[in-house]
Amino acid sequence: MITRRDFLVSGLTATAAGVIVPPVLAKSVFAATADGIHNDRVLVVVQLAGGNDGLNTVVPYADPAYMDARPTLRVQPGTVLALDSHTGLNPALTGLKRLYDAGEVAVVQGVGYDNPSYSHFESMYVWEHADPARRQTDGWLGTLLAKQLDTQGHPLTACALGDVSTPPEMLASKAEVSVIQSVAAYQVQGGASRESAAPALYRSTPGAYGALFDSALSTAETGIAALHAPGVAYSPAVPYTPSSAASPLATSLQLTAEMIVTQPSVKVCHVLLSGFDTHQDEVRRQTALLQQVDAALSAFMQDMAAHGQADRVVLMTWSEFGRRIHENGSQGTDHGAAAPLFILGKPVKGGLYGETPSLTDTIDSGNLKHSVDFRSVYQAVVGDWLQGDAASVLGGAFPALPLFR
Amino acid sequence: MSVATGRLSRRSVLALGAGGVATAAGAGLLVAHLPDLLRPAPAAAQPTSGWASPLGTARGLAAHLLRRAGFGYTAAELDAAAALPYAQLVEHVLAQQPEPLPAVATPGPQRVVSAWYAHMATTTAQFPERMTLFWHGVLTSSFRSAAQLPIVAQQNALFRDRGRGDLRSLLLAVTYDPLMIRYLDLQQSTAAAPNENYSRELMELFTLGPGNYTETDVREGARALSGIRMVLVDANGSPVPLARAGMTAQQYAAHIAQLVAQGATFKGILLRRQHDAGTKTFLGRSGNLGPEEVVDAILAQPACAQHVATRALTYFCSPAPSEALVTSVANAFRSSGYDVTAMMRAIFTSDDFVAAANYRSLVRSPADYMVAAMRALGRPQLAALATRSGPGMDQSLYDPPNVAGWPGNAGWVSSAAWLARVNFAERAVARGPMPDAQSALQTQLDGVLSDSTHAVLSRSASESDRWYALLASPEFNLK
Repeated sequence: MITRRDFLVSGLTATAAGVIVPPVLAKSVFAATADGIHNDRVLVVVQLAGGNDGLNTVVPYADPAYMDARPTLRVQPGTVLALDSHTGLNPALTGLKRLYDAGEVAVVQGVGYDNPSYSHFESMYVWEHADPARRQTDGWLGTLLAKQLDTQGHPLTACALGDVSTPPEMLASKAEVSVIQSVAAYQVQGGASRESAAPALYRSTPGAYGALFDSALSTAETGIAALHAPGVAYSPAVPYTPSSAASPLATSLQLTAEMIVTQPSVKVCHVLLSGFDTHQDEVRRQTALLQQVDAALSAFMQDMAAHGQADRVVLMTWSEFGRRIHENGSQGTDHGAAAPLFILGKPVKGGLYGETPSLTDTIDSGNLKHSVDFRSVYQAVVGDWLQGDAASVLGGAFPALPLFR
Repeated sequence: MSVATGRLSRRSVLALGAGGVATAAGAGLLVAHLPDLLRPAPAAAQPTSGWASPLGTARGLAAHLLRRAGFGYTAAELDAAAALPYAQLVEHVLAQQPEPLPAVATPGPQRVVSAWYAHMATTTAQFPERMTLFWHGVLTSSFRSAAQLPIVAQQNALFRDRGRGDLRSLLLAVTYDPLMIRYLDLQQSTAAAPNENYSRELMELFTLGPGNYTETDVREGARALSGIRMVLVDANGSPVPLARAGMTAQQYAAHIAQLVAQGATFKGILLRRQHDAGTKTFLGRSGNLGPEEVVDAILAQPACAQHVATRALTYFCSPAPSEALVTSVANAFRSSGYDVTAMMRAIFTSDDFVAAANYRSLVRSPADYMVAAMRALGRPQLAALATRSGPGMDQSLYDPPNVAGWPGNAGWVSSAAWLARVNFAERAVARGPMPDAQSALQTQLDGVLSDSTHAVLSRSASESDRWYALLASPEFNLK
């Protein structure tokens, strides 16, 4: 019997109906489960780990309470990239502002959940599992992959790019995730005998880790075959700046672009940028990070457009929480609650969403209340963008923000 | 697969290399006979790990302990360990005294990590070294906070010296440790506006776990911990003024290095004028609390022993320890006055530790995996390769992904990380000489092999091919 893995490595591919189609098309056909998602839309999730300071990202620059709460950290009103008469972007986000003006960025304000946790790891868990009660064990993207996108034998459907570990939001027992730090490193070194020996060691491994081990190696094996097969060539249409050495996010997003352009099976990508836990020296550190975000996201969107992919790619950011309204004594801010996030892409209906959070009507001694449950963003992204069944991913229906055209 | 039932399957018989079946199946490469492994296996009803457990034998049990309490062993080391009764072997391990990390000429973080890898691969005092690695994962810090200061090696020495003593001393030493002071922002915390970073992670990650303190405790703890500062003192303990006006970062680093060469060291102190001397209420205690009172209030919480015991058990014993096991180890820990060695004794001598279900129940961390390979091959000179290879496997020592340290067990597994592991194996066997691979299958893998590993070994034509299969195998990645 021909396995799904054989489909990928053979030159031609048979559909369930027995029709022979070229592998490039077949992979996207097979990436859907029978009752799952059937379209060519792609979602890129950018995690800003550590808790990005939302108030200094989307700045309430006309609010006197903001000026009072941030004596050393405030973004000067004159430098803000105004979105309207009271809200503006951090001056580092010039590229995002251009995209916003072109109507391709949704800025969702005040995103969070009830009874927020101020622990990085608890709050990450909430976002990763779409579950404020922290009972779910599968990640929300993992659930999406397992229920609505057939990843088995399609290793490049779900990709964690520029990283070496599987992001918890993609984890599910039936989701195969290709974790690719770089195409060059994604290979078995040592020649043909090693290329056959390494995966062979991991066929039907016994024990509790057997399936996990086997899946990692078979995912790698099939992914390597697809990546190194002759196919569409990719070179970046725009420079990703600053240089990749200085910007891990640029490296990851350029790899993401390469995967989207060359691998039709790609549906969901995850990239990570860490360092947002700015308890001290925040202005310098957050500015550098936001510049990196701005440059990498701008380059990625331009690159997608130049490669004719702009209509099928949407990117969203998230961070586990925002930061405390009042700065601490270390020119930094401690852990907070609600924060803004960005949804980018040509299919996005640009604009400001959610309410600008109040700095005086607060929760938990000086933290921002949320006006948008983060699962409403997931609802829009899964339901309206990917056209999947969001309720089965989120464990219930949430009012979707009208984020897409 | 009958292995899953705990009976001796075709696989385990083949792997043991005993009897005509193995030879007839072409498994003649397994020359070492271990008759004692052929005792009747435990009753089928007993939970197993999916592998035929050799823990009913002295040699299998000794190997299990040495892999977990240390990093690895040569055949001779295993023979010596297996000659001792298990309880005596545990005491022998627990009594090991640490050997200091050899001084590093240029104390850059990469040099320290590389020296540490070499040390882990060579020191005979493996248990203190293992505890150093354990605490580095729990009470973690990043070299990025060190700037160019020689405080990474200093924290490394702290865990080696104090990692088996009492938890109170360890926690106080960590609270005043220069690298930690910088990593979790105590350095900038003032009475006027305390920084919550250390207070929160001390409770959430280091000692109590979430749900066992309130946000008020975080804020009050931050007040009690305000004013801790890193200072440089000379050999007599007197403060050395640190002025860096006009110096470049490199000149400053060179200046510090010169002072350190003359006997100066960094240390943490409580700077009274930056410390909040007011009344705080922290974990139910009120008064003018400071760092010592914070640690004492934490140690008074039952959650503390439970949390630390859970961290230790998932690292040393079982990926999902039962509540009964956690409670039993936590009780032993707390009733010993938080003696870490007593906690480790309770773990190593527990029924769970030696149960068939916990044979190969842990995934070797990247550092563990590479050091075990270096020890099995007798090649500590792979330390530089290990330092370079760690990041691809998701572990750069002194550069944890975040303040929670590294994931464990299943969290290590990804396609990228496993490619990096098998590629490390390739680099490690690329140059000889190597010990005998066939006997290493017994020594390193207890002769317990999966069908797939066995099949690849059968096809392997050379010593380096066999060593590659051994080191790249799922068996060697587990312990």
